[in-house]
Amino acid sequence: MNVLLCSINTLKGLYDISGVEVGQHLYWKIGGFQVHAQVLITSWVVIAILLGSSIIAVRNPQTIPTDGQNFFEYVLEFIRDVSRTQIGEEYGPWVPFIGTMFLFIFVSNWSGALLPWKIIQLPHGELAAPTNDINTTVALALLTSVAYFYAGLTKKGLGYFGKYIQPTPILLPINILEDFTKPLSLSFRLFGNILADELVVVVLVSLVPLVVPIPVMFLGLFTSGIQALIFATLAAAYIGESMEGHH
Amino acid sequence: MANMIMASSKPLSPPSLSSPATSRPRISLPKFPKLPNTQLLSLKSLSLAATAAATSLTLAPPSLAEEIEKAALFDFNLTLPIIMVQFLILMVALDKIYFTPLGKFMDDRDAAIKEKLSGVKDTSGEVKQLEEQAAAVMRAARAEISAALNKMKKETQVEVEKKLAEGRKKVDAERQEALAQLEKQKEDTIKALDSQIDALSQDIVKKVLSL
Repeated sequence: MNVLLCSINTLKGLYDISGVEVGQHLYWKIGGFQVHAQVLITSWVVIAILLGSSIIAVRNPQTIPTDGQNFFEYVLEFIRDVSRTQIGEEYGPWVPFIGTMFLFIFVSNWSGALLPWKIIQLPHGELAAPTNDINTTVALALLTSVAYFYAGLTKKGLGYFGKYIQPTPILLPINILEDFTKPLSLSFRLFGNILADELVVVVLVSLVPLVVPIPVMFLGLFTSGIQALIFATLAAAYIGESMEGHH
Repeated sequence: MANMIMASSKPLSPPSLSSPATSRPRISLPKFPKLPNTQLLSLKSLSLAATAAATSLTLAPPSLAEEIEKAALFDFNLTLPIIMVQFLILMVALDKIYFTPLGKFMDDRDAAIKEKLSGVKDTSGEVKQLEEQAAAVMRAARAEISAALNKMKKETQVEVEKKLAEGRKKVDAERQEALAQLEKQKEDTIKALDSQIDALSQDIVKKVLSL
């Protein structure tokens, strides 16, 4: 018994070091409502990184760009390119939305992989990428829905709802269903990918704490970038789709 | 989830000490059917292992059970609207400090570069025009020079001719004068001769008459 308990305790210790806690949250109470504190803390860090780096890089733009400015110009070109290909010529007003979407998700995902969150001990739950939490991804997906509705309504007025019976009125239920599947697929794709990526890394680390997890970590970085790009591209595509004219 | 993995894998590994004991009797039963003691013993050990497993499940990670119960993957709460608001604030802030200023700066720079490029094209036309102008100036200058040269030539020729004519006139006058002098001298000589002729003729007449 003693030996058994001892070994169990050592195992538990090992797991505590390398373990991941899924679905464990640090709860704060704000006005009678519960919030996931670890998500908020990491999202503040992500926002601080974004704002701070862009303030430093864009503070004093040079005609011949310096390194930081060059990088931010490249990022802006990239975002503009994505928006233009998906939305079309009237992409201008949507660049901030698409760009913030991409940057926030990208930095969130990479922060989960690169920043040593686990150094900071929380009484309950643990710090991880903000996109690791379903609340974040659903919030972003719902904002995307609102954005494309807004885009369509401002462009075409109430005529926007004509798209529901567009090819034939028979497709009305499917067209309405689409408005629910879009945010659902957006949020669950991001959530699932990031969570699965972190889980795979953690499980591999707990099984073989040497060398083997490294390729998976790089794969995770790659996946994180791709997911951010997919989310931003799809958001732009939805906006463009609701803005384009019907024949 | 890893906790669940933990929960399922942990009790498995520690009782592995006793699990061969539980499986051995089954295999060895036909071989040693007359040894109930060992079976009893093994049963005992089995029950022991089971209790150990049970205690390990409940004791070893004391908080595990409730944690698994509380584990909530799809736990929607106030975090969602807070993240929404944060995102919108971030969007406005990034737009103010990043997208709009840098985008405007880049567009301005593009426009300036394009303007400069087209300006360079314009100056090439200007250069051509200037070259033509220079050629025209050169042509005009050449024409002027040749005209001046011709004029000078003519002038000098006229002058030379004038001087020549002058010289000729002078020479003519001198010749005339000389001729006139010669004529005069001739007449003088003739006159002198005439007077001599008179005297001579007188002489002759005298001589002759004196006869």
